[in-house]
Amino acid sequence: MEIKKTAMAGTLESSDIQIMLSQGSNGLEFDLVSDVAKQFGKAIQATITDVLNTYDIHDAKVKVVDKGALDMVVKARAITVVQRALDMADEPDWKVI
Amino acid sequence: MNIFSKGKSTDLSAVLLQREKRSHYQNQLEQRYPNKIVISFKLNIPGPIKNNDYLARIFQTGWRVLLSQLTGQVIEHSRMEANLNTGPEAFLVVTGNLSALKQLTIKFEDNFPLGRLFDVDLMAGQDEKYQLSRQDLGFAPRTCLICNQDAKSCIKIQRHSLMEAYQVINSLYANYYQENFYLFNWGEDTVINAALTALLDEVTVTPKPGLVDPASNGSHQDMTAFTFIESSLALRPYFVQAFELGHNFQGTDLTSLFEQVRQAGIQAEQAMYLATQGVNTHKGLIFSLGIMIAALAQITRTGPSHAGKLRQTIQAMTANLVATDLQQGLAEQKALTAGQQQYQRYQLTGIRGEAAQAFPMVFELALPFLGQATGADNQRYLDTLMLIAGQLADSTLIKRAGSPAILAEMRAWSAEYFALGGSQREAGRTFLANLDQDFIKRNLSLGGAADTLVLTIFLARLQGVV
Repeated sequence: MEIKKTAMAGTLESSDIQIMLSQGSNGLEFDLVSDVAKQFGKAIQATITDVLNTYDIHDAKVKVVDKGALDMVVKARAITVVQRALDMADEPDWKVI
Repeated sequence: MNIFSKGKSTDLSAVLLQREKRSHYQNQLEQRYPNKIVISFKLNIPGPIKNNDYLARIFQTGWRVLLSQLTGQVIEHSRMEANLNTGPEAFLVVTGNLSALKQLTIKFEDNFPLGRLFDVDLMAGQDEKYQLSRQDLGFAPRTCLICNQDAKSCIKIQRHSLMEAYQVINSLYANYYQENFYLFNWGEDTVINAALTALLDEVTVTPKPGLVDPASNGSHQDMTAFTFIESSLALRPYFVQAFELGHNFQGTDLTSLFEQVRQAGIQAEQAMYLATQGVNTHKGLIFSLGIMIAALAQITRTGPSHAGKLRQTIQAMTANLVATDLQQGLAEQKALTAGQQQYQRYQLTGIRGEAAQAFPMVFELALPFLGQATGADNQRYLDTLMLIAGQLADSTLIKRAGSPAILAEMRAWSAEYFALGGSQREAGRTFLANLDQDFIKRNLSLGGAADTLVLTIFLARLQGVV
């Protein structure tokens, strides 16, 4: 699948993760910042890679800022960012807030 | 006690969506206030229940503590969403120095007893770093609620079960709100406002048996709710004085602090009579609330304290009171107060006895009850008043009835009110409205219970339960 547009999901709040997905041509290029990168960097990357593979995405730039998110949060944010990047999900209408 | 026994569950997707909404709102605020600091304030509660009466109470308490720390800062904007299923949250936009404010909020998270249950994030639009971390300022990362390791790594590997977290939160709640509750070192403004609000809240509670409220003058022909408003505001300088006397008192003999407050109180009575054109609205409270404010200011002058310490201090201040005022006083004085007459006739120590025992009705009965009471403020206050009235040897009631035999009747009325469901049920409300009419017919009033309610509301405000 080809990424149609750069998309973002998640926040910089503690226990969250922010993922930005944009077009790439050189496999999955990760740029990961995490307070717990040493311990969990690989696991975070693996979770996101799994999600991207499920959507058949093999080329993308993935910028990740992790604030100590649980694995289920990483997964949920990864699914959202892919759906936004593929135009499968509407961005929430923030103006209504 | 389990504070998670009720409340609507929320799910992960709702929580994640709410975080994005918050983040978006923060960005909007940063754009609207480019040179200001945006503070995001929320609870950090694990598990599916993120909001209920107890959690809302914790949130309100924390919010008041935070605001009390921001006195002197210009608050440009505030917004609170207290009822979200995903948890209460609030925003503030303030003018100030980012790193000074961050230190203040870190201290809140680390030192305020409930601070561990909050997340306070600061953002400054003009700042490259966007969010200043604890480590940037040389503070340790937040520690886990349960063990003392870095919270992030405990969360990440889910080192602890939800039940363990709930146990810790339940005990934090119990320690904060129950008997020996924590007293923050509120500034003068907050304490004075709590005192004035307590006075005004009490007169607003409706319908109170025989007492003045906005709907009726009760058994008091010479005053209305307006008289109480006048009187309350006239007492402001006295409350300030009582606070400063307590705050500045350096001695060890606290009875001399009491004497100073009492002298100020005598002047305050004149200010009251001037404001009310000679009507006694708050004489009892000039005495009891003055003591309480001075004692509170004394124990919190160097930092936070506890209810137990407040009670010890009140006892030390009033150590000689029953002996000098009631025992010796009777021999010397010609014009006896209502309290002194009742001591003479019935050996009832009244307000002096309550003060000398550091207000057991307030601390042991009314305040724990009000903390748990549910419903609108008026309902919670009515139920608390009726609880007090059922237990207190109310000197106003005795004086008006002409005999302490009225106390047994009052106990029965209180019991009947609660048996009918209190303010929560139509039957309870009808009973209370009828009791008000009976009181008026018999010219009875609950002045002592009303004063006890004021003291209770005053502390409840400082505690954050109302």
